[in-house]
Amino acid sequence: MASHGVGETGLSDSGPSNHHLPYAAIHGINTPSTSFFNQEGSSFDFGELEEAVLQGVKIRSDEAKAPLFRPAATLEMFPPWPIRFQQTPRVGSSKSGGESSDSGSAVNTLSSKAEAQLDPESPISKKASSSDHQSFDQKHLQLQQHQQQIEMASDTSRTGGPSELNTSPAKPPQEKRKGSTSEKQLDAKTLRRLAQNREAARKSRLRKKAYVQQLESSRIKLTQLEQDLQRARQQGLFLGGCGGAGGNMSSGAAIFDMEYARWLEDDHRHMSELRTGLQAHLSDGDLRVIVDRYISHYDEIFRLKGVAAKSDVFHLITGMWSTPAERCFLWMGGFRPSELIKMLTSQLDPLTQQQLMGIYSLQHSSQQAEEALSQGLEQLQQSLIDTIATGPVIDGMQQMAVALGKLANLEGFVRQADNLRQQTLHQLRRILTVRQAARCFLVIGEYYGRLRALSSLWASLPRESLMGEENTCQATTDLQMVQPPQNHFSNI
Amino acid sequence: MQYQYQYQHQQQAAESSSWGYYVPAVRGMIGSDPLERVVRLASESAVVIFSISSCCMCHAVKSLFCGMGVNPTVYELDQDPTGKEIERALMRLLGNYSSPVPVVFIGGKLIGAMDRVMASHINGTLVPLLKEAGALWL
Repeated sequence: MASHGVGETGLSDSGPSNHHLPYAAIHGINTPSTSFFNQEGSSFDFGELEEAVLQGVKIRSDEAKAPLFRPAATLEMFPPWPIRFQQTPRVGSSKSGGESSDSGSAVNTLSSKAEAQLDPESPISKKASSSDHQSFDQKHLQLQQHQQQIEMASDTSRTGGPSELNTSPAKPPQEKRKGSTSEKQLDAKTLRRLAQNREAARKSRLRKKAYVQQLESSRIKLTQLEQDLQRARQQGLFLGGCGGAGGNMSSGAAIFDMEYARWLEDDHRHMSELRTGLQAHLSDGDLRVIVDRYISHYDEIFRLKGVAAKSDVFHLITGMWSTPAERCFLWMGGFRPSELIKMLTSQLDPLTQQQLMGIYSLQHSSQQAEEALSQGLEQLQQSLIDTIATGPVIDGMQQMAVALGKLANLEGFVRQADNLRQQTLHQLRRILTVRQAARCFLVIGEYYGRLRALSSLWASLPRESLMGEENTCQATTDLQMVQPPQNHFSNI
Repeated sequence: MQYQYQYQHQQQAAESSSWGYYVPAVRGMIGSDPLERVVRLASESAVVIFSISSCCMCHAVKSLFCGMGVNPTVYELDQDPTGKEIERALMRLLGNYSSPVPVVFIGGKLIGAMDRVMASHINGTLVPLLKEAGALWL
């Protein structure tokens, strides 16, 4: 631009830099400028320009060697110190002949230095960029200097210096065209500003690092929590059969487990009602209400099991909804009615002869029904085995479809078994008097409560020791605080 | 075990007798209403079970009766040419049930599907019915 410091300052500064500007100056601006200057009668002429160019080349070549002497610390991609300090020694080393009138000014030093490296076509500078970092730095500087060049080109002020100041690679060039004060004052201000920028950059880098570390540790914590939760859930299943198991439980099973847990709480409440009702010697009418409520309480769980059988029959039939001790005696997804009657007969005294006969025939017929259902289930299993085990592999999918159809019959068997249980309880109610029935249901509730407690105790026993017998003896010692002598001997 | 022998024997007998029953029936009443046929067949024996040979619940019902010492007359609908019609009739009879078989008639009277049979056995009404129909002797 002709308006640009066509005088020595601008051109000499820009001379050694890109060939663009001098080129432009030479070719584009030449005519008007020379005419202008000729008009003005300035001392500037083309010859001087050429000289400046040549001098700039010299400077460039001189300073291009400087990178070789650059300290190794510049291996950093973004050195935190300003380029200026780096280049200051070079200022001294190089001939700043092409400098402007502000020879002492670090501004133009800086700019000239940077410009010296800016020329990508300089063979010397290319040779000098031996390391990648150096060349990166150079390129970065070149980029910034190029930007500055453009700004310089459009900068009208003679001391377009301020725009060249921000060459610290860590910061993007900030163009603050201050009003022209002396270069020395600007120097201090810009120094301070650059220092502040550096600080801010460092702080933000540290903040980002801290944030990323926080994220990472939170992620690890989250996965650990999930593992702990899963482990706790599985243990919870052993201790009382409440809550859900590991993640691979179907929704139908999970829903049933939740409802069963609620049913157990209701059961506890009903039992305490029965107990207080018996102890308080309520009238038969009042007691009948309580007993009938307990029957419908059982009807409720059979209904829930029916719903669960539709969605997840395996959950019921494997007994995963109940405790381990109950599972021991599992028959078709629940208790065996005949066994329950057997358990009750001793506890229901006194019974009339008729009642006794009724109880025994109930036991007998439930046994027959259980046997029939077991036979049916056996045939189902046999038919399933026949479907899966035989047949060519070609028929694979067909085979599977048939097997699936047969598996669907499982639901029917579980429902029939539950139906049997329900009918047995109802028949018990019919045979017994109100008071007897109240006692009977209390016994049933307590029996299963003890089975569940047994499961919890079993789960809580320490099992690490290899000396199993000794351990159980000690556990028994813990449980029964009495009779120390025998247990001591057995320990020895 | 005794009842197993009885059951196997019964199955063979039932198959032969069902064939025996069917032939005159088809000859005599072509195109009759399946429900009528069901009722007629049910009244011809003390204990009548409509079944499908591959159905496991039907096997359970048969085991139950044989275990009690009863000899039921079993009609395997999958071995009958008009089986499908009878199945549909039974479904209508049971009223919106999941499966048409097994269905039990005692003394010509409809007892129902498996759950009704079980319930009646538990509450002690099945054995008197069987005795009444002459299927069970003390």
